[in-house]
Amino acid sequence: MADLIASDALLTEEQNQTLRLLLNMIIPPDAERGMPGAAELDFMGYVFEFANDRIEHIKRELDSLNKSSRRQYTVTFPQLDDNDREALVKRLYSTRRQFARNIEVQIMFCYYQDDKVLKALGKEARPPFPKGNEVLRGDLSLLDPVRQRPKLYRE
Amino acid sequence: MAEDIADILIIGAGASSAAAAWSLADTRMRIICLEQGDWMNPSEYPSNSKQWEVLRQVDYNQSPNIRKRETDYPINEEDSAVSIANFNGVGGGTILYSAHFPRLKPSDFRVKSMDGVADDWPIDYKTLDPYFAQNDRNMGVSGLAGDPAIPWHEPPLPPIPIGRMGEAMGRGLNKLGWHWWPSDAAIISEDYEGRGKCLNLGPCNSGCAQGAKSSVDVAYWPVNQRLGVELRTRCRVSQILVDDNDMATGVLYFDENGVEHLQRAEIVIMACNGVGTPRLLLNSPSAGFPDGLANRSGLVGKNLMFHPIGFVEGYLDQPLDSHLGPQGTCILSQEFYETDPARDFVRGYSLQIVRGQPPASIAVSGTQRGDIPWGARHHEAYQKYVGRSVMMAVMCEDLPELCNTVTLDPELTDSNGIPAPKITYRFSENSKRMLQHGLQKGTEAMEAAGAFKVYTMNQVRDTGWHLMGTARMGTDPENSVVNEWGRSHDVKNLFIIDGSIFVTCGAVNPTTTIQALALYVADSIKKNLANLFD
Ligand SMILES: Cc1cc2nc3c(=O)[nH]c(=O)nc-3n(C[C@H](O)[C@H](O)[C@H](O)COP(=O)(O)OP(=O)(O)OC[C@H]3O[C@@H](n4cnc5c(N)ncnc54)[C@H](O)[C@@H]3O)c2cc1C
Repeated sequence: MADLIASDALLTEEQNQTLRLLLNMIIPPDAERGMPGAAELDFMGYVFEFANDRIEHIKRELDSLNKSSRRQYTVTFPQLDDNDREALVKRLYSTRRQFARNIEVQIMFCYYQDDKVLKALGKEARPPFPKGNEVLRGDLSLLDPVRQRPKLYRE
Repeated sequence: MAEDIADILIIGAGASSAAAAWSLADTRMRIICLEQGDWMNPSEYPSNSKQWEVLRQVDYNQSPNIRKRETDYPINEEDSAVSIANFNGVGGGTILYSAHFPRLKPSDFRVKSMDGVADDWPIDYKTLDPYFAQNDRNMGVSGLAGDPAIPWHEPPLPPIPIGRMGEAMGRGLNKLGWHWWPSDAAIISEDYEGRGKCLNLGPCNSGCAQGAKSSVDVAYWPVNQRLGVELRTRCRVSQILVDDNDMATGVLYFDENGVEHLQRAEIVIMACNGVGTPRLLLNSPSAGFPDGLANRSGLVGKNLMFHPIGFVEGYLDQPLDSHLGPQGTCILSQEFYETDPARDFVRGYSLQIVRGQPPASIAVSGTQRGDIPWGARHHEAYQKYVGRSVMMAVMCEDLPELCNTVTLDPELTDSNGIPAPKITYRFSENSKRMLQHGLQKGTEAMEAAGAFKVYTMNQVRDTGWHLMGTARMGTDPENSVVNEWGRSHDVKNLFIIDGSIFVTCGAVNPTTTIQALALYVADSIKKNLANLFD
């Protein structure tokens, strides 16, 4: 994973705070299931390493969210209370097709490939190779009705 | 110093080239293969990393226009409803292919006589049968004998696991009384010829780190090299040269540093695939061939066929771990393969049931579709979808049409200044109707298997995996580019062995047939050595 100093410096303080709040609104922590919130992950470190070309898009999406917040509430997104934040995100999500699209896509990739998350899901945090996976050979007697059919191809 | 003349020069080191080189090696002739790409390093493949789902998106993307490796050439696809997928390197497209390995069927070679459309091939299934079998042994193919939808054949290795997902779909298809069978796969289900068996890594489409997928860099080339075939990488051929007697004399190529070289040869064999081969022929005009080499028929670059593809994705209400196992192969239904006059289209399609989407991709598509919401319900909804997705490709037969073409782009070039190919392609009305039928039947199959949600995707653009028809074979020089054993009608020491020579394309992935054809052409060269150029 990229070093934190580099990845933290990618965003302004306002963008950073906005991002953390938004990430936990997309994937909040769930104590019962033992699932971390998305803000607990080093999201920008991930983006820096694996989706570098998305950084500018992500910044624009954060700025746009703050702009909407200022326009509607005269303060930035982090300055809103929880209810207003919720209401704003809900409105933007349902009215703008592309709202936070890059953040959404990248956090899904980041979250569901993260060690902590995989462990919480009961999966091993490892690459597919070299250990591989067990897959059921499958019950080939299910083919019996197919075997009984006459030939299906034309000569 | 004596001039360096190869007996046989093969251009490209992909699926067809590897098979032909293997066969021709026993002539003990001097065989040189020029390949524009590199050898692959399996330890760099994405499945060596936990982040494989994201690492495969650029460097191992199927589109050369996204991948943009130094060894790739750009392709103008603006005028095409389908975009090209390929890989340029030792192994060619097999580096990224799914290794789904069904053969064309007897009727596929006789489309005109049976259904009154397109043209018959000048050869038939029986001619290719021994070459299919030889290639299965060379590649290492897994499958189950006894499928009533194809003439009897016995793959050398037992089928790859179909998993809970294959069982669930099989039960659904049984309810409908439809055909299905475990797919033939060029993936070794047991250790074979020094290669370790498939470990069910999943992402075959970004290279197999285990080497169990039979890409030809592992299945053929090491053997070919031991047999004496010389394979030179980073050699990009720009032109094939001919003399005044219409005989090929060799090729011009650029090395890694952009230095141009001449390689002379007695016989030139083209194996650059259905886009690369017409590109190179069109870029080799001469006084005798002003419209491109071997193009007196005017058919070089015409009749481009893909397989028009749609997808059906179903989510089943049971945990299936459907993302595990070789990504692109599981089971195949060919219930709707042969022509049925009661339908509003001619010819038919396969339903290729592949594995489900992997865990992070499920989250991405689920959130975008609104199935997996933001907020408190996210975790619960994710569990409902992960491991339960089933993907099915509706793979239709395309029919050859003169309007679907590969030409040279007047402006776009590769890094050596060689004109890029330009693709012009649209779906025919027949294909559109066939796709519609397939999506409906695919949906029925998903529902029969118990899907609680089904999505269909029509005329999917990023599916130009199968490149065929652009230098077709035939007995009539007016109506074909190569004869019935792959030799150019116009240039008697020039052969084509890749998917370009397909007359029609059936409704199955083409590589097993491409390789069987390559072995057959190589064998024909050997049998006709005494009078090869008559
Ligand atoms: C993502 C993906 C999935 C696929 N899945 C399947 C599948 O499941 N089953 C199936 O049957 N098929 C599949 N295919 C298609 C399969 O890869 C091709 O059918 C097969 O590789 C074609 O073989 P070929 O010999 O015609 O050409 P290729 O294998 O494409 O080889 C052509 C070679 O020629 C080289 N070349 C081209 N031009 C030049 C030049 N000017 N100078 C030097 N070298 C040159 C290229 O670099 C390349 O290595 C898939 C393809 C892709 C990309």
